[in-house]
Amino acid sequence: METIYQLIAGWFAGKPEWLPLAIAIAVPILFIVGVYPAIFAYTTLVERKALGRVQNRYGPNRVGRWGILQPLADGLKLLTKEDIVPRDADKFTHFLAPVIAVIPSVLLFAIVPIAPGLVPVNLNIGILFAFAISTASVLALFMGGWASRNKFSLLGAMRAVAQVVSYEVPMVLAAVAVVMAAGSLSTLDIVKAQTRGGLEIAGWFVFQPWGFVGFVLFAIGAMAESARTPFDIPEAESEIIAGYHTEYSGFKFALFQLGEYLAAIAMAGITVTMFLGGYLGPGIHIPYIGGFIAAFWFFLKLGCMILLNIWIRGTWPRVRVDQLMGFAWKVLLPMSILNIAVVGLWHFMGNKVLAWGVTAAILGLAFVILAKISAAGNIEKRTYRYAN
Amino acid sequence: MDYAFWTISGITVLGALLAVTLRNLVHCVLSLILFFLGIAAHYFLLRADFIGAVQILIYIGAVAVLILFAIMLTRNVTGEAGPQEVVGVKWWIGSLCAALTAGLISFAVRADSVAETLSPGPKATVAVADIGKGFVGNWIVPFEAMAVLLTAALIGAVVIALEEVRNRR
Amino acid sequence: MGFLGKGLFQGMAVTARNFVGTYFDRGTREKLVTYQYPEEKPPLPENSRSFPFLVYDGTPDAMRCVACKICETECPPQCIYIVMDRDEKGKPQQRPKVFDIDISVCMQCQICVEVCPFEAIKMDNDYEKSQYGRFDDLIEHLPDLLKSNEYYNEIKPTEAKAVDAKLKAEAEKKAKKGTSKPAAAAPAKPAAPAPAPKPATAPAGKITIPEDAPFTAEQRAWLAGFLSAGGVATSGTGVSPVAVAETTGETPVPLPEATPAAEAPAGGWPWHDPGLGMSQRMDLVKAAPLADKLMAAMAQTDCHACGYDCRGYADAIAAGSETDLSLCLPGEAETAKKLEELMKEAGKL
Repeated sequence: METIYQLIAGWFAGKPEWLPLAIAIAVPILFIVGVYPAIFAYTTLVERKALGRVQNRYGPNRVGRWGILQPLADGLKLLTKEDIVPRDADKFTHFLAPVIAVIPSVLLFAIVPIAPGLVPVNLNIGILFAFAISTASVLALFMGGWASRNKFSLLGAMRAVAQVVSYEVPMVLAAVAVVMAAGSLSTLDIVKAQTRGGLEIAGWFVFQPWGFVGFVLFAIGAMAESARTPFDIPEAESEIIAGYHTEYSGFKFALFQLGEYLAAIAMAGITVTMFLGGYLGPGIHIPYIGGFIAAFWFFLKLGCMILLNIWIRGTWPRVRVDQLMGFAWKVLLPMSILNIAVVGLWHFMGNKVLAWGVTAAILGLAFVILAKISAAGNIEKRTYRYAN
Repeated sequence: MDYAFWTISGITVLGALLAVTLRNLVHCVLSLILFFLGIAAHYFLLRADFIGAVQILIYIGAVAVLILFAIMLTRNVTGEAGPQEVVGVKWWIGSLCAALTAGLISFAVRADSVAETLSPGPKATVAVADIGKGFVGNWIVPFEAMAVLLTAALIGAVVIALEEVRNRR
Repeated sequence: MGFLGKGLFQGMAVTARNFVGTYFDRGTREKLVTYQYPEEKPPLPENSRSFPFLVYDGTPDAMRCVACKICETECPPQCIYIVMDRDEKGKPQQRPKVFDIDISVCMQCQICVEVCPFEAIKMDNDYEKSQYGRFDDLIEHLPDLLKSNEYYNEIKPTEAKAVDAKLKAEAEKKAKKGTSKPAAAAPAKPAAPAPAPKPATAPAGKITIPEDAPFTAEQRAWLAGFLSAGGVATSGTGVSPVAVAETTGETPVPLPEATPAAEAPAGGWPWHDPGLGMSQRMDLVKAAPLADKLMAAMAQTDCHACGYDCRGYADAIAAGSETDLSLCLPGEAETAKKLEELMKEAGKL
């Protein structure tokens, strides 16, 4: 926002004072509400096609060439569907829930930088803001589930709340490690902290042992936070129909989907920013076109994260409800706390090559021990009552 | 700035009033969340970004969700079975207490000269780094005491939960 | 080497292989199994079937169907409707004027194919029959139903070859018989043992109800019909002979010159009822004159394959003007045998 203001302030010298400010505010907003929903629309298409290929079939390929008009068709279909509100539903809350589902997801994009200096709002509390906002998204799930007066919706809502609250802890702690290393909560500063010695790739936090662990922890947390497979138990079809949005149809359902996907995309964007070097990549310092190259790198990485999400969705089975909490509290939480300590160690060790080895050894050992403990605790010999 | 202040204040007060007057418990909590949001907006308005974000994270993300969880496990969510009277003797006593507390706080704030000297200008932003340095500098003892208190609460919760698990077995 | 989460990565490898493999699958359908239906159709197995069609040899005029109405009678859901063609004088033409199949009713059971003695009706495998109308559009008329023998050979080569061989053998036999006329003596089995894999008409008399079962004669007859119809009780079939006599008047188009019921012996005719076995029919005509007995032995469909209607054929045999006892095609070998037996009993052979 500031960058745009500085850029265009000169052009409007004779005009009213508020005009450049209004434009500087309007451009990022239009960008967020224009570009990211488009990415959402085509994410659904890519997801359906990729899942299809994973499952040995074509995806949608009937609406337009390669199905490129499929999102449009889906949208039109959802728009024209009847909006059904259950008779006993709490009407106002039922109406409010899908609206609230979208707001936090859109707000998340406010702190995702797409090029040097180009971030919708450069908050000095950037990452904290993201966590605060993403927590609020659980409210929509709860409201939708509760207002529907449907036991499956309520179960879905309770699952959603429990899951989001649990997985937020390791996710935030994983981000704390990054904040410690970067020395700032601002997303622009975090990206800048990932350059090293003039190289745009080597400094990515994901290439540090603690950064890799943090990346995995954060990605898992982000997946759970946006209720995507394998953490989609709030809307597990085989168990509770569609969870909190069972009683939603038409455009309200579409809004829920929009909110969910936007949250997943925003989380992917934040993951890229924090661990994969954000917009960093070769060629971002070239005059004039460097900014575009940076944006290209950012969206490329964003796409890769989205594809990884889809790939995981196509492969892994859903986590069982009783294993979900245990995994968050017994595996992810100790690991993330240890990770914070390891970042401190990394910070105070002068020789980074040695530090790399030591931290990798500590984290690897911790992983092995945790794996042993959790394997000993979880895997029991199954007994079958009738089959034996 | 004044318009923003009055609008946000109005929403905040409305949320607070609804939270205590609505009959449906879930509606009450949702109004309470509106109130929390209003408070957070006030913080943002005062350029206390960090406190505002923490307000959302803690009060909406944790406290309100906890209350919702508790409500979901209760019956009589709609409040129809309880006493229908809202304005009663207790209400007047409560209002009196609230008014006294509010008067006391405003008196204390007005009496304290620090409040005047520290009143932030419109451009003064509370930096996160300053808050962090404050925590591990001047106010390290209260900070650590708070940490010990919370840890004790956490351990206590685990102990109680373990007791229940043992009883169930 | 095992570590926690190894299986997750193995799974990812499998899905990645499938994902990439689908882009290099050139028609082998190992990785990409979808048939994109309207453009691509999966090959049908030879024994797949949809709805019946009528076979003709050469030109559509040379259809094999003789409008014998056996299929119409046997059809469990009663979806076939046949009217025999007649010339201006009203002489039966041994071919249908109307042959309708209501495919909204047809349950694709293939019973019509199995009962047809003329190999005229066969199961198609064309499943794209959807129409916009619910009623008239779903009724197939004679022109829609007629398909060539070549088509039949194309969709079901094995079965069609067997049928062709059988028909050829029959034709040769007939030709031989035609030369050695009047060889009324010992009319052996009219048709060579069919090489077709299909079973012949289900012998109705095979299902027997124990003698000591507590049923009245009427119930017994109904039960026999019910059992032999495969549990599908349909109007007109599987009821007592008396009821049959009453319902014959209700068949869609009663033949106007059909022998009046007044000529029938007590109990009425015809007894052609899939529920009534040969022995039961014989029981009903124990006291009847020879012509009635002979008629009872026939299939009584008035199919005119013999050149008469059933009453006429029976009368001709009884009167001695017709000596060939193997002309009743619908009745097959059983009828021929019984006719010979009856003639021997009557001392006319």
